[in-house]
Formats: sequence, C-alpha cells, structure tokens
Amino acid sequence: MADLVKLFNITARDFAKAGESSLQIQSLLKSIGFEPDLIRRISICAYEAEMNAVMHGGDGELLLTVDPKNIVLEVSDDGPGIKDVELALREGYSTATPEHREMGFGAGMGLPNINKNADSLAINSLDGRGTHLRIKFKVGDS
Amino acid sequence: MTETADNTELVHYVQIDESLCNGCVLCMKVCPTKAIRVKEGKVARIEGVCIDCWECVRVCPKGAIKAITSDTFDLTEKDNIIVSPSTVLYSQFGQDVLPNDVLLGLKRMGFGYIHDQSYTSEIFNLAIELYIKENREKPNSPLPFISPVCPVVVGLIAYRFPSLLRHIPPLVTPREIVAREGKARLSAKHGREPEEFKVLHITPCPSKMICLKESILQKRSFLDAAIGINSVYEELKNNIKDVEEDIVLHHSGGIGLSWGMSGGEISGLDLHCLAIPGLQETIHYLEKIEMGLLGDIDYVEFRACSEGCLGGPFTVMDKYQGKRNLQKLVRMFGVEKRIKYGYVKKLYEKGWFFTDKSQVPGGEELPQLTSSEISRAIEKQNRIEEILRLLPRKECGACGCPDCSTFAEDVVDGKDSLQSCVFWEGQKKKLGIAGKGRDYPNVA
Repeated sequence: MADLVKLFNITARDFAKAGESSLQIQSLLKSIGFEPDLIRRISICAYEAEMNAVMHGGDGELLLTVDPKNIVLEVSDDGPGIKDVELALREGYSTATPEHREMGFGAGMGLPNINKNADSLAINSLDGRGTHLRIKFKVGDS
Repeated sequence: MTETADNTELVHYVQIDESLCNGCVLCMKVCPTKAIRVKEGKVARIEGVCIDCWECVRVCPKGAIKAITSDTFDLTEKDNIIVSPSTVLYSQFGQDVLPNDVLLGLKRMGFGYIHDQSYTSEIFNLAIELYIKENREKPNSPLPFISPVCPVVVGLIAYRFPSLLRHIPPLVTPREIVAREGKARLSAKHGREPEEFKVLHITPCPSKMICLKESILQKRSFLDAAIGINSVYEELKNNIKDVEEDIVLHHSGGIGLSWGMSGGEISGLDLHCLAIPGLQETIHYLEKIEMGLLGDIDYVEFRACSEGCLGGPFTVMDKYQGKRNLQKLVRMFGVEKRIKYGYVKKLYEKGWFFTDKSQVPGGEELPQLTSSEISRAIEKQNRIEEILRLLPRKECGACGCPDCSTFAEDVVDGKDSLQSCVFWEGQKKKLGIAGKGRDYPNVA
C-alpha cells in the first residue's frame, strides 16, 4: 500500500500566496475523509509552520505524508534557523519584525500553537543553517 | 391554499431549459458545490447538491436557467394573511418613501396583518449578544460564531463545511420569530387555531422559498410562503400613496433598517464582529475558519449576495441605489438601541429564541473511518493525484467538469474517461506515452 506523499513549495516573504499549501492540505485531508477535529489540528500546524517559513525562513518545502495510522508534516527552510528553541516554544516570544506585526502576525504563538496541536513535534534547527520541523499526528485512537 | 411547509419533497427552484442552453460552462464554473456538469458539450445538468444560491442564474448568458418564482400560494383570502416583508423592501421605492408608507401600501393591498420584520431584527440582535456573551468563554467554544440568517450560507456550511455547523448559534432567525409569534398572538386574540393564519414573507431571496420546505436549523418553518419582491412590486407601488394616515406600522430604528445591507446585522452588536458578503469571499473565509483561524472574532455575518440582501435576485432597485436609500433611512431613524434589554433577557431565559431542533444535520459526530476505509481513500486520492500530474491543468471545463481535480475524481470513479480532456491527445505525445494501445494509467 503506497502512502500518499505530496510536496509543497514555500516561497520566502510571499505573503500573497502564504497559506495556500495549508489550504490544499486541508482540502486533501477532507476528501480522504479524516475526522474534522484532526483536520483542524493539522491545518493549524501546517498554516503556522508555513507562515513561520514565509516570515523568517527563506525558501522551503512542506512535505505531507499520509498513511492510515499517521499523518506527518515535514517543513524545512534554508533560513537563519532558530537560536534558542526552548525560548521559541514559549507563548508570546517572537522575533517578528514590525513589518510582520503590521500584517497581524508575530504574536509569538506559531511554534507554541504547533506544539499544542500536534501529537509530536521535533525541531531540528541550527543557527544559520535553516530549520526542519517534523510534526506528527496519530489517526484515530491507534 | 397550499401547505408548502408540509410538502416534504424538496423541489429546487433552479431548473435548466435544455432548449436554450448552448452548453457553455459558465454556470458550471460558478457553482459553489460543483453540482453542475456539461457532459458531451451539450446541456448543463444539475447532478449534485444545489443550495439555491442563484449564481448560475445570474451568470447564464442565454437566460436558460430559470426559477419557479411564483408559488401556488392563494392570495385571495388576504384577511388571514400576516405579511412580513424583508427590510430590503423599504429600499425599493426611492428616497422619499418611508418604511411606514410601504407597510401602509401592503395594508391597502388588502393583507389582514402587517409585521415590520426590521423591529424583530433589533430584538434578535440582543439575543445574539446574550448568547455569545454567555458562550464565548466556555472551553472549546466554537469561535467565531456564524450568523444563522442567510439560508444560502447555512446550506453551504451544511453541505461543504459540516464541521462548522456547530459555529451557528441555535437561535431562530427574525423572519421565523415573526411567523411563529404572529400566528400565536392572533390565535390568542381571536380564539382561533394558529394554523388558520398564514404568514407570507416578501423577500429578495429565492433561497427563502427553499428553506421553508427543508429547514436545516429548525424542525419546520413557521412561514407558509415566500414571494419575491419583484412579483408584488407593481401592485404595491400603486398602493403607496402620499397621504397622511395615523396608523403606525413601522417600529424599528436605524439598526433594524440596516439589516438589508451587508454589515447591518452586526451594526447593533457590542461584540467583535466581521461582515463578509459575496459567495466567493464567504467560501474563502469559511475555509479559514475551518483551519482554526479567526478564533479571536466573536461573530461573523456572512451573506451570499454581494452588498448583502440588497443584492438578492428578486429585488427591483439596483443594489447600490437601494443601499443609498437604506443608508438615508438609517441616518433618519438613528442608530441608538431602542429595545429594552430586560425584556429581551426575560424572553431569552424562557427559551423564546431557541430553535426546536436540538441536533442539526451534520452536527452530530461523524462516524470514524476504519483503517481499511482510510487505506482505500488514500489509494483513491493517490490515483487522483496521479491523473492530475498527467493533465495540463488548464482548468478549462471543456470536459464538462468544473475543474481538473473534479474531472480526475470522476475518471477514478469510472464516471468519465481521460479521452474527455480536450488536451489529452497532445498531452500523451508530450509525456511520451502515446501509441501504447491503451490510455495510461489504467484506472479501471
């Protein structure tokens, strides 16, 4: 049984298109028929991760893998990386620029929100060498 | 008199006249539920769920999409009819005609009872405020709440965004409150059965006629019939006279009057609200809400028509001129709240505003898919993706499907074949899979 694998590109600072991938992921998961609450949690994480990459990250990729037991989002970008991961996971901590804030972003809720909604989150980031997020969701009670 | 509300068979008012349809794809493209197909380039057919949004009727260049607008409602026995017009009606006769003049015109037409719905809308405003203030702080509160007022939006949510049904407060809309209370009051006053009185709603909206028959948010509608503003317009216009009369039928202030426009419903709310008109924008924002966004907003007023109900298909006046007329009325009557809060709170606590339906369709827990069902769905989605990679993605609609992904799904389901794609022959050559004896991939 082949898993469903789909790759999305993320363009740095392209705010006009930002959110498109999350929307596509949402509609894909909807047509497969996963339960709405799971889809909502995945969409939130996809959106936050996508926005983080668009705002801070530089160009990147979002890879969706779906199998009957797990749904995994892998988001990687070649941006500056996260200096202090523990700090970045704290609600309200933000490195957003005034420009981001003017657009309504930068409340410091991105990573905390992902952490809250995912079943597991692994952050791999080195200062100056980009960020890789692996966000995992369990399907059903399995 | 036809008992429209008891007619359980759902008749959609949108029908396609095959003799006029030339098989263009405009209706198919605008349909928000992707219900229309134009197979073999012939005529359009409605194959899926219609939510009566009227987009196809508006866009058809041939006038081939028609609607049955006149119900078989008997208008001869007007004595027992309570007529309750949409606020939009007040905007249809120019700047010098006041709401009371319009309502008196209806009286002159012979209707027994006239009710000013915009007044009930102001009462409803307070009920929404009470409901949201009571519920927004609760854990897992479905924010933002979504207005139950526009029937097209409710249908769209039920069909395309069922997980959002729980965002709609279980409150009865003003038009339904008018009908329910109108009958109850007259029955008490005259000692007759409530059913002996019929409630007629005059509306800019074709979807109102449908929701009388298949109400999503209530067990049944209290309205007996709905007719378009355009079908009473001429007669009503002749009955609007510039004469002094002592009868006051209009009671609302500017807040109730603004309900005909986009933003009108939320104009009287002390809440964090948004007003979003137009079907495409509505879909866009429903998608956002489904993604968990806009959780900092209390209430969203969606309207399927641009400019709100003023843009409804059964209006006579141009929507922007209508808007100007309503704005003038709003200024004239002022926007202070006139309804007594304590009075509404008492009614609210008695359950007066709540719908009789505890569970809306789709609001119940959806059955969880089993592991093998998920496997099959993933496999199907993989095939759809595979076909999509083979298509040039022109999104032209020439195959008869509204977009390439719907086409790919139809192919996977065996309802269509890749041959229907007008680019397929060229695409085979381009991909180097021509002349293999059969179409790739084998999707049977």
